[in-house]
Amino acid sequence: MVSFNTLERERYFQNPPTDKSAFPLLAEAVAPHIGSFNALTAGGLLDLAVKDIGEKVIFDSNDPKRLGNKMSYRIDQVQILKPTLSGRDKTTINRRVYPAEARERMTTYQARMILKFTYSVNDGPEQSENRDVGFIPIMLRSNRCHIEKMSPAELIAHKEESEELGGYFIINGIEKLIRMLIVQRRNHPMAIVRPSFTGRGATYSQFGIQIRCVRPDQTSQTNVLHYLTDGSVTFRFSWRKSEYLIPVMMILKALVNTNDKEIFDGIVGSDTKNSFLTDRLELMLRSYKVYNLYSQEETLAHLGDKFRVVMGVSPDKTDVEVGREFMRRIVLVHLKSNEDKFRLLLFMIRKLYALVAGDCSPDNPDATQHQEVLLGGFLYGMIIKEKIEEYLNNFAAQVNQDIVRGQPVNFSDHKYISKVFLKTNDNIGKKLNYFLSTGNLISQSGLDLQQVSGYTVVAEKINFYRFISHFRMVHRGSFFAQLKTTTVRKLLPESWGFLCPVHTPDGSPCGLLNHLAHKCIITTEAVDVSAVPSLVRSLGVSAPNMAGSGQNMCCVQLDGQILGWCSHKTAKRVADSLRFWKVEGTHGVPNELEIGLVPTSNGGQYPGLYMFSSQSRMLRPVKYLPLEKEDIVGPFEQVYMDIACAPEEITSGLHTHVEYSPTNILSILANMTPFSDFNQSPRNMYQCQMSKQTMGTPGTALRYRADNKLYRLQTGQTPIVKAKLYDDYGLDNFPNGMNAVVAVISYTGYDMDDAMILNKSAHERGFGYGTVIKVEKIDLAEKRRRGEPVAQRFGFGSDAWPEEWRIKLDSDGLPIVGMLLEQGDPMAAYFDENLGRTKVMLYKSSEAAFVEEVRLIGDDNDGEFQAISVKLRVTRSPLIGDKFSSRHGQKGVCSQRYPAVDMPFSETGIQPDIIINPHAFPSRMTIGMFVESLAGKAGAMHGIAQDSTPFQFDEKNTAADHFGKQLAECGFNYHGNEPMYSGITGEEFKADIYVGVVYYQRLRHMVNDKYQVRSTGPVNSLTMQPVKGRKRSGGIRIGEMERDALIAHGTSFLLQDRLLNCSDYTQANVCRDCGSLLSTVTTVPAVGSAAEIKCRRCATRLVNKAGGVAEDIHGSGVWEDGAGTKFQGGDNTTTVAIPYVLRYLDVELAAMGVKMKFNVKPT
Amino acid sequence: MNRESFLPPSTQGSSSAAAAGRAYQPTQAITYLCANCAAPNTLTRSDPVRCRECGHRVLYKQRTRRMVQFEAR
Repeated sequence: MVSFNTLERERYFQNPPTDKSAFPLLAEAVAPHIGSFNALTAGGLLDLAVKDIGEKVIFDSNDPKRLGNKMSYRIDQVQILKPTLSGRDKTTINRRVYPAEARERMTTYQARMILKFTYSVNDGPEQSENRDVGFIPIMLRSNRCHIEKMSPAELIAHKEESEELGGYFIINGIEKLIRMLIVQRRNHPMAIVRPSFTGRGATYSQFGIQIRCVRPDQTSQTNVLHYLTDGSVTFRFSWRKSEYLIPVMMILKALVNTNDKEIFDGIVGSDTKNSFLTDRLELMLRSYKVYNLYSQEETLAHLGDKFRVVMGVSPDKTDVEVGREFMRRIVLVHLKSNEDKFRLLLFMIRKLYALVAGDCSPDNPDATQHQEVLLGGFLYGMIIKEKIEEYLNNFAAQVNQDIVRGQPVNFSDHKYISKVFLKTNDNIGKKLNYFLSTGNLISQSGLDLQQVSGYTVVAEKINFYRFISHFRMVHRGSFFAQLKTTTVRKLLPESWGFLCPVHTPDGSPCGLLNHLAHKCIITTEAVDVSAVPSLVRSLGVSAPNMAGSGQNMCCVQLDGQILGWCSHKTAKRVADSLRFWKVEGTHGVPNELEIGLVPTSNGGQYPGLYMFSSQSRMLRPVKYLPLEKEDIVGPFEQVYMDIACAPEEITSGLHTHVEYSPTNILSILANMTPFSDFNQSPRNMYQCQMSKQTMGTPGTALRYRADNKLYRLQTGQTPIVKAKLYDDYGLDNFPNGMNAVVAVISYTGYDMDDAMILNKSAHERGFGYGTVIKVEKIDLAEKRRRGEPVAQRFGFGSDAWPEEWRIKLDSDGLPIVGMLLEQGDPMAAYFDENLGRTKVMLYKSSEAAFVEEVRLIGDDNDGEFQAISVKLRVTRSPLIGDKFSSRHGQKGVCSQRYPAVDMPFSETGIQPDIIINPHAFPSRMTIGMFVESLAGKAGAMHGIAQDSTPFQFDEKNTAADHFGKQLAECGFNYHGNEPMYSGITGEEFKADIYVGVVYYQRLRHMVNDKYQVRSTGPVNSLTMQPVKGRKRSGGIRIGEMERDALIAHGTSFLLQDRLLNCSDYTQANVCRDCGSLLSTVTTVPAVGSAAEIKCRRCATRLVNKAGGVAEDIHGSGVWEDGAGTKFQGGDNTTTVAIPYVLRYLDVELAAMGVKMKFNVKPT
Repeated sequence: MNRESFLPPSTQGSSSAAAAGRAYQPTQAITYLCANCAAPNTLTRSDPVRCRECGHRVLYKQRTRRMVQFEAR
């Protein structure tokens, strides 16, 4: 049962809890972000990463025949400290930096990263040195953040929200987050049919098996097997953005010491009668003979020789060692042992042949079943890993440069090592800063990802709904945004319960930008599955080295490692037993283990028992019926499970699971739409969009924020009609709208076409009153170049300056707090010592604003006072033209603020706050709004909060009846209609009017930001046409289609007025004889006469006998140009009206040697 | 706020301070509040922005004691 919980809420606000937050669901919503960041340090991902990078080796000899002294070095440990002051400032006692300071000062919330650099010379004793590699941005509320474990009371003391969630970074005062990205499910070979594969070479077919292998440090390497039309198979991988192809036989032989029979048996198994398979395999085995590589050593040496340069390994390694390194770093990197890699490769080859033969279907890469989520923290770790490796390579490059230049190189000299350190670029923090602030990935390897930009977004705090949904957002990848096909955007049944079907924007990102269902979690830690292999064996699965293969046997895999083989019947038993134990929590089977049993089918997905325990998987809770306990299922297994949607649907013998609630499939925002099951589905999508654009309550710690722009609703209320989850997520802390009495009636005509009439009295009571808070930073140091002395300081100088500056500014040159600033008012005064003049910065916006706060901002070092930030408050009371919406995708524009006396009133004397037109409903079918109206009215009368959770009513127990009875109880009409009287005539309307209470949102689109008018104004200097753009007070273009409409109407005067007179109308002089626009000149008038227009081209130039300037010639018809040259004739000119661009065109053409001739005739 | 501290906004007039024959005189220093410990701080124009008490790096300017709006509507 929902309730207003007024007292509880007030107590909570007055005494914030000192232990833990009252809204744990909010913290769960951002858990994937924080968990993945914590895994870098607490989970040891960075240490695993530096271990994977391994040791680098350099030699000091410049003689190619000799290697010289050897220095091997590596990073032993990565340490990230907590955010502290960076500068050389000595005065501060508390050097900790809290996030609020980063926001206020518009700096980055960052902490020092230290690498333990360990090296040894000629394999001697190891020496270590700690290297400071700069400040890296830190995620809020992560384990490197000061506010990680703070209670709401402590958070408030540190200028945060009481429900600060964290999960984002602060970069230059802007809150940024790394958005989650959909990637291919790790460690699972996927059958793919892609026509573009044929473009890779002559015999390439469209069939392939792709596996995205993920190392323990969460970096990935994709391996692909290609089927060639001659029946053989090629192994493809990409390394440092280049692609390489190797015959798969060579990989197999390099992995283990094997023979052709073992390979044949491992792929074919007992299916020796399958001639499709055996023929091709035989061919592949035979054709490999041309390489003449028989043993593992030979093959490794061959590969090592070919890939020595590509891998960039130490020159003292043998080819075989390089080959081993190649296998370790490129082939199926998620597996440690070569035997496991060998077996999985055989499995992949068999799956590829099955795909080609049509024995199994291709896997859908767009289905959630084959997807996982790349989390922000893991991506951050991948970048750090790459930058560390780059740092190590730079170190080697620096030494090599010294060798080439012939400078002395001495590894055992400590001074030399520090000299090299000094020269290598060690600012990893700066690179991470760049990544977070731009979202661009600069990488040598490409990190096995498909895009280079768009990884980060600003966590906008328009209102809390928008803010929270940033953290639940998963993007499919910007690569797919350009794709013309719509298949990737489709809503597939596989995503049931993981991605919200409602919450996706319409328009270009539709279906690519999804939001997680509110119960969906993403694992950030690998679970302990050490017990599973032996359990599986005890249940009747054979050992992995037993020959078994093909679709008749069931392959049992755990995270891409083959555990063994069994019959399909046994597999079912194994899967069922494991599931029972996992829910029960016994036998060491963790509940987060995903047990995907793919049964045999006729040409369906390749069968097997695939288990997953790793990070980044989407999971969700459902109830397991045999034990009545919570089971956590993933998208891979869900496809083959029987989960009932509601308890009454459970069919015995079929269903093993049941949903906890049907609303679990919806995102946080979609759950907030009241009675969304009554609405037409697109309306719920619109509501999800609009709730994110609402002028609501972004937070409560607004004093300590310095966002560029914030919207704030002054009169927010808790909705009378709200879902249970509304309280669970604590959204009363961030009200997003107001309850309004809404009448559905066509009244006065001002409510046509989605317009709505606002009651003027409601407006005066503060309905929808909002403010926009803007922050402007004034930094005098910005203009100064590095190294220059400070010459500009805030305040007034001793020179002469206008007295009225002091009206808005204090004697310190800063604005007076509380003052109203209008366009052109000074916002800050400063004295420029170089010029000896006092200058002011002006307030440029055309909207008047109050100075709310003035902040003096210091820098990290003990630098002089150079920067302030001014917080300005713009009042935005609702105006005609502002946008409002109910929570059902029913948006409308305020068309009139109608006086209370003219509003219709009911028999109880109630008059509506808002009037909307009945025509808004038939085509849009937002029945949920009617129900909300009923529920709101009943709730207001009874003083109770109404539960609007969807799917709680059915045909027998209808919502209309439930709320109708409540209405009837307090004397209203059961159906919600009421007789009403016209406010103007006082007569009763012929029809009863539907009146109720609906929660209304005020959207942030306001006329004040939109209106664009122009009579005269700035023009483009080249074309003399009006400029475009609202900011530059430009005009709105009469485009091609608007022009067509005017032509079709025959309104030629209007057409000429718009296109010529109000645009670039000019008068030009043209010569009637030669038709030129450009050759006309204005004469220099003789004394006493007026200037005339002559054509210089048609005139004859007068010269004296010497051929010089004819200064002495006078007479009628002789004229003089500006240069003093005299002419005669060229009189036949006239003035015409032309668009100025025509003149410009003529000039451009003349420059190209093209002449334009105008035949001018009187009409 | 007492009645005496109200300063009526000075009338317009574009004459500069120098033109009015008035020498530049520094008025009394303005105090700012530390964002961390709320200690009052005074600042000359070339000082670093640092709280004298705790060394914090953000200072707030106080709201004016002048009457800003005469009519409240």
